[in-house]
Amino acid sequence: MAFDLDTVSEADLTAKTSALAAWLRAHAPVAIGYSGGVDSAYLAVVARQTLGADGALAIIGRSASYPAEQWATARDVARRFDVTVLELDTAELDDPRYAANPSNRCYYCKTELWGRLVPVARARGFATVIDGTNADDLSDYRPGAQAAREHHVASPLAELGFTKLHIRHASRALGIPTWQQPSSPCLSSRVPYGTEVTRGRLHQIELAEAALRDLGIAGDLRVRFHDDLARVELAQAELSTWLEPERLAALTEAVMQAGFARVALDLRGFRSGSLNVLHGVSPA
Amino acid sequence: MTRDDARGDRSARKAAALATAIAKLGVDCALEVRGGLALLLPTPEGVTTLQQDETRRAVLALAKEHGFTHVAIELPTERRRSSTPSTDAPLLRD
Repeated sequence: MAFDLDTVSEADLTAKTSALAAWLRAHAPVAIGYSGGVDSAYLAVVARQTLGADGALAIIGRSASYPAEQWATARDVARRFDVTVLELDTAELDDPRYAANPSNRCYYCKTELWGRLVPVARARGFATVIDGTNADDLSDYRPGAQAAREHHVASPLAELGFTKLHIRHASRALGIPTWQQPSSPCLSSRVPYGTEVTRGRLHQIELAEAALRDLGIAGDLRVRFHDDLARVELAQAELSTWLEPERLAALTEAVMQAGFARVALDLRGFRSGSLNVLHGVSPA
Repeated sequence: MTRDDARGDRSARKAAALATAIAKLGVDCALEVRGGLALLLPTPEGVTTLQQDETRRAVLALAKEHGFTHVAIELPTERRRSSTPSTDAPLLRD
């Protein structure tokens, strides 16, 4: 997977990383909402390295919408960088407002997450709770950000102007394996708004994506849920390869094994927020 | 005519026009509409044609012209080949 990291100015990045270290020292100790994604992994490692083992606690909220593969990555990064991790179960799927899957579904998810995580962090002496929201996220449709504000969760990466590219570049410099990991939103993001989110559907999507990863798809990948139909989005550069008859047959079979009756390959390829466009929440 | 009927007619017309335009690119396919998604059901030869970046780009541009935000191809499987009637006309489903 290629990222244009050369467009990041070294001087700018150095200034940003210094500012982040200063921010963390000024707000220590910190608890991090930690998923093992590119952003929160970077934040957790920098917090651990800046504040020491007692100054940083990474907290994972586990539920059916959190892929097992990502949980494994989160644990692996924490082990490699000696980050202390606490796991909590979250129950957003038990909230009918979340399960109904409105366009502000993320608000209910994050309300559940921060509603559980913040009190636990505070009880352990971590007055500051932070997340991995970055500067790019601020221009996207993110109803979950409101829940973070309501729970006084700070977003230092966004505050200091870190874009995803800055974070990938800085992660690579620190040897954090997630630097080249595709973005990884929760599994519910594959279900169109208005279609109920259930544990069964999330499991089906997770199985299909895991099966496609086993076929060797390493870059961006989403299996979008359309009832009986799975619409597969791959990185544009991979489309020609996966339109070859033998590979196409293997891809179809892998997704059908996960329980989908029909399989379609998106011709435009992966688009972040693709379902937002399909349902008119974001412009095409 | 109800509002749903009118919407269905518009959708069918839009799909028929897109299928005709795509056929001119050499991609033989039926077409199913799911909201903003145009689902192409190509023949194996049609899939081969779509391996070309240029053809895919042209299909995407046509779909956008016809009001679709997404285009996907349903992969030909034994199951579908046996259940799809042989016809020269575009198959429209909504």
